[in-house]
Parts: sequence; structure tokens; C-alpha cells
Amino acid sequence: MKNWFPSKNKWRELLCTGLIALLLVAASCTSTTTTTTSSAAITTTTAPVTTATNKSINVFAGSASQPPLLDAAQIFEQKNNIKVNFTFGGSGTVLSQMLLAKSGDLYIPGSPDYLIKAQAQGVVAANDNGTLLAYLVPAILVQKGNPKNIQSLSDLLRPDVTVGIANPASVCVGLYAIEILDKNGLLDKLEQAGTVKTYATSCENTATLIALKSVDAVIGWSVFASWNPDTTDVVYLKGSEIPRLAYIPAAISTFAQDKVSAQKFIDFLASKDGQAIFSKYGYQVSESEAKKFAPASTVGGVYNLPTGFTTLVK
Amino acid sequence: MSKKSGLRTWLTSDRAFNVALVSFLLVFVIIIIFLLASMATFTNWATFWSNVVSRETLFAIRLSVITASIATILGMVIAVPVAYAISQFKFPGKDVVDSLLDLPIILSPVAVGTALLIFFSTPVGGFINNNILRFTFSVPGIVTAQVAVVTALAIRLLKSTFDSIDPRYEQVARTLGCTKSRAFYKISLPLARNGLMAAAILTWARAVGEFGAAVMLAGATPMKTETLPIAIYLAMSTANVGQAIAIIFILIIIALLALFLMRKLTHRGYPL
Repeated sequence: MKNWFPSKNKWRELLCTGLIALLLVAASCTSTTTTTTSSAAITTTTAPVTTATNKSINVFAGSASQPPLLDAAQIFEQKNNIKVNFTFGGSGTVLSQMLLAKSGDLYIPGSPDYLIKAQAQGVVAANDNGTLLAYLVPAILVQKGNPKNIQSLSDLLRPDVTVGIANPASVCVGLYAIEILDKNGLLDKLEQAGTVKTYATSCENTATLIALKSVDAVIGWSVFASWNPDTTDVVYLKGSEIPRLAYIPAAISTFAQDKVSAQKFIDFLASKDGQAIFSKYGYQVSESEAKKFAPASTVGGVYNLPTGFTTLVK
Repeated sequence: MSKKSGLRTWLTSDRAFNVALVSFLLVFVIIIIFLLASMATFTNWATFWSNVVSRETLFAIRLSVITASIATILGMVIAVPVAYAISQFKFPGKDVVDSLLDLPIILSPVAVGTALLIFFSTPVGGFINNNILRFTFSVPGIVTAQVAVVTALAIRLLKSTFDSIDPRYEQVARTLGCTKSRAFYKISLPLARNGLMAAAILTWARAVGEFGAAVMLAGATPMKTETLPIAIYLAMSTANVGQAIAIIFILIIIALLALFLMRKLTHRGYPL
């Protein structure tokens, strides 16, 4: 290899090289802004804005509430001049993103289970139980017209049926699916039947499995049918089969920079106008509405995956 | 000689040019080292080692190696004749076809994976999926996604290999009585040996790293369609940073092994 330092002053030139390298590194370090938000975002959507704003809030939400939140943000931005940036994904996934990036103003998971996890991790204050936005009813979702004639949980064991479930470790509805199967004594049977083909990575993903006809049935929230009415039908479970109903809580995170604006958005979502948006998308906005599907169920609380539970997918 | 013109002379000299070049090289190397070191601060040796030998990680390693190997074989089988054809034949619209062959390389793997998933939802695709072989959310799906992404890369690499072979060797063989196919097997392929091996190893490395198309078509199901990149994704979605770091280091080691192997196998006469 040719000696690229032909002169005797090689030490001086080595020093020059080192100095220039250090300068380049220092220059690149100081020029980067220190916003570390959502560099690993799975979906980041910004509701379109027509007015110039200088206030903004970052909302990390489970995709269980994506359609109404996007609509609500548009109206909120026009009224209040506050830009709303969303990061959607599995409730557990976006929680991890908030934790690692140490940023985010609002956390809106798809179930109170994840709010409790957020409190345990210090992302939400321990005494803040969030504001209830809407209720969620677990149900079986099938392709439009229900071609495989799936009428109940036990139909999911049939060998001619393919099933999809959300990942119970990172998605709100996945945990509820496992709980329902567990409490109805079907968990082991379903694993042996081998009909569960995949774990979806978020609520949106779970709904898309049906919309794209990738599987015959998923266990999800009943509102999935309102998201994709042309491709999805809902098969309601018996009230006795549902141990717990879920709800969508919204809480200000401990990393929030603009708590006032964040609270304004929560207030808007809980107001009459905000609740009307949730109703429009088929969500149950009052406990009595939700309890119609499962009168004996409880709301909230915790369910832990059974010890030794690994996977349902063969 | 004033100080100012002395400095100017030095700035435009060869030595200054070398100094500038080496500085940039140093910066790039420093950045890579910093990235590796920063990951090390997020974990300790005990957690790291237990993550490396965990059941999930070992499954991911096995699945990645097997699927990438099958995908490479299939990709090379398709790429060799296609690359040879593009290299050999002159036909109207050759430029257009050439650009089309490059399309899967430029196209995002997510687009490729989504297109495949949609195909298997159509009546024809659905029939194949349900009756012949299951492609969606399965291991064959991973292989399919990998093949779809790496074949174009293999074609591009092999085309430059075949382009660099002097056609006169083949022509002489033909004048001595070889058929076209005999000339290909006896002359062109052996001459392309180094290029073939380099293309195979690079294709394999690319297949191991494939994520976007695989996660679309095969899903991210733990212990079933969990390749190494998908394992990182799953680990991060449950904030298991230690697990993600362990897998990243495994991928780095695999990549280094592939590069080392490539240098060793092709150093004879193939400038790299």
C-alpha cells in the first residue's frame, strides 16, 4: 500500500487529520436538533391543517381509536389553532416508543390495561386514571356475508376456518381475546386446533386481516365493522362469554411539554361534540350502551396472560 | 515567500488532499463505532448473553439462515439465465427492459410485500393459497418475499459479471464446434465463477436482512415467522431493548462473516 504520508512532517499532518475529523464530528453533533420523537414510528399521521399554528401536541394512541381521533383533531385544530400530531400503532408499541424517546403529550391506549402499564412504567402519573372517551365491545369479526357461517367462539375451532388474533403482548384487543378464550375454556383447544394463523401488530392491522380477506375471522372490537362496512361483518358474542368490557382512556403523559393544550384536546374529545364523533363511528359512548352487549361484565381491571403461555399459532 | 501563499500552496497540495480524504474516512468509522458503543450502554453482559441463547433468538437465527439460503438458491436459478440473456442479446427496447429489471431494487420492499399479499387475496391467488401451498402468514411466504426482493439484485450483479467476460472466448469455442449451451456451461460459467460467488453471498446477506416484504406477506408472528429482523421489530414493540440489541449484534456478526467469506473466496483476480 502506497505510503500516503510521504513527508517527514507526518506527525503534524496526523494532528491536522485528527483535528479536522473532530471538527466534523462536533459540527454534525451541534447541528442536529434535539427532538427525539418517534424516530421509530410505525404510523405517523398528521390531520390536515389549514391555519398556521405554532402550538402543537404529540398524541401516542393505540389504533383502536384512530378514525374518530383523526376526525376530532381536524375540527379541534380549526377551532383552537393547536396542531395535533399522531403516532398510531399497538397500544404496547406506542407506549414503548414514548418510553424510549421520553416524549409525548398524550397517551390514548385502546384499553385501561395499558394505562395501568403506563402508570407502572412512569409514563403516566400514578394518580391519573385518565378520562374515559368511549367503550369497546369485543366481538368476532368475519368477512362480509359471513361465507364460512361463523356464529360463535367454538366455530373458530373448525378445521376449515382460519383465525387471526392481535399480538397479546403489544395490542389491547389481543389481550382481551386471550382472556375471552381462557375464561371460556377454549385456549388449549384453539392451540391444538391450529386454526390461528397469525398475530396482528395493532388494532388496525387486525381489522385489515378481514378487509383483505387474509383470514376468515378475527377476535377484535365490534367497531371494526364500522371502520370497513363494505368488507366486514360482526358476530356478537353472548354476554356471558365476555368477562370484561374495555374503554378508551386518555391521559396526559409525564413527558408532556404543553399540558394546557393537551388537556384542551382531552376536554374536546369528552365534550358533546367529541362524543358525537365517536358515536358516528359506531363506538359506545355510555356504559349503558356498552352493557347492552354484556350486562354481567365488569369494566376495567386487569388480566394477566396465563403463566407458560407462549403462542397460539402453530 | 509570504505566509499567505505558502498556506495556499499547501491547501492545494497532494498531502492536503490526502489529509482531507482520511479525515472523512475517520469520521465515518467513528460514527459506526459510536453507534455500536451506544447500544452497548443499554445492556449488560448477563442480559445480552441470556438474550442471545434464548429460545426465541435461536429460532430466529435458524429460520433466517434456512429461508435466506432457499431464497438465494431460487433467486440465483432465476437470475443467471435472465442476466445472461440481457447481457448477450441485442433487441429493440433493451434499455426499457433493463430499467424494468431494476425496478424491484428501487421499489420499497414494503410495496413488493403488499402487492404479494393483495395477489393472494384475489381469486387466483386465493386458490393457490388455500389449495396448493399456503403463502400468507407462513414460512413459504417469507421465502417468497425474500426471492421477490433479492432476485433483481442478483440479476444486476450477474449482468455486470457477464458483461465483463470477453465474448471472444465464447465465439472461439463456437468456431471449434460447441453448441451455444455447451459454450455457456464450459466457458462462460467458469469464467464468471468469482462474480457468481460474490453475487450469491451478497444476495444471501440481503435476504437475511429482508424485513418490509416479509412482514407484509408473512406477518410478525413470534416463534413462527420470526426471522432476525422481525425479531428486532417484535422486541422493540414490547420495549425489550436488551433483546433487540442482542439480535442486532448477531446480525452484525453474520454480515461480517459474509463479507469475510466473500473476500476469501474471490480474491483471486476479482478486484473488490
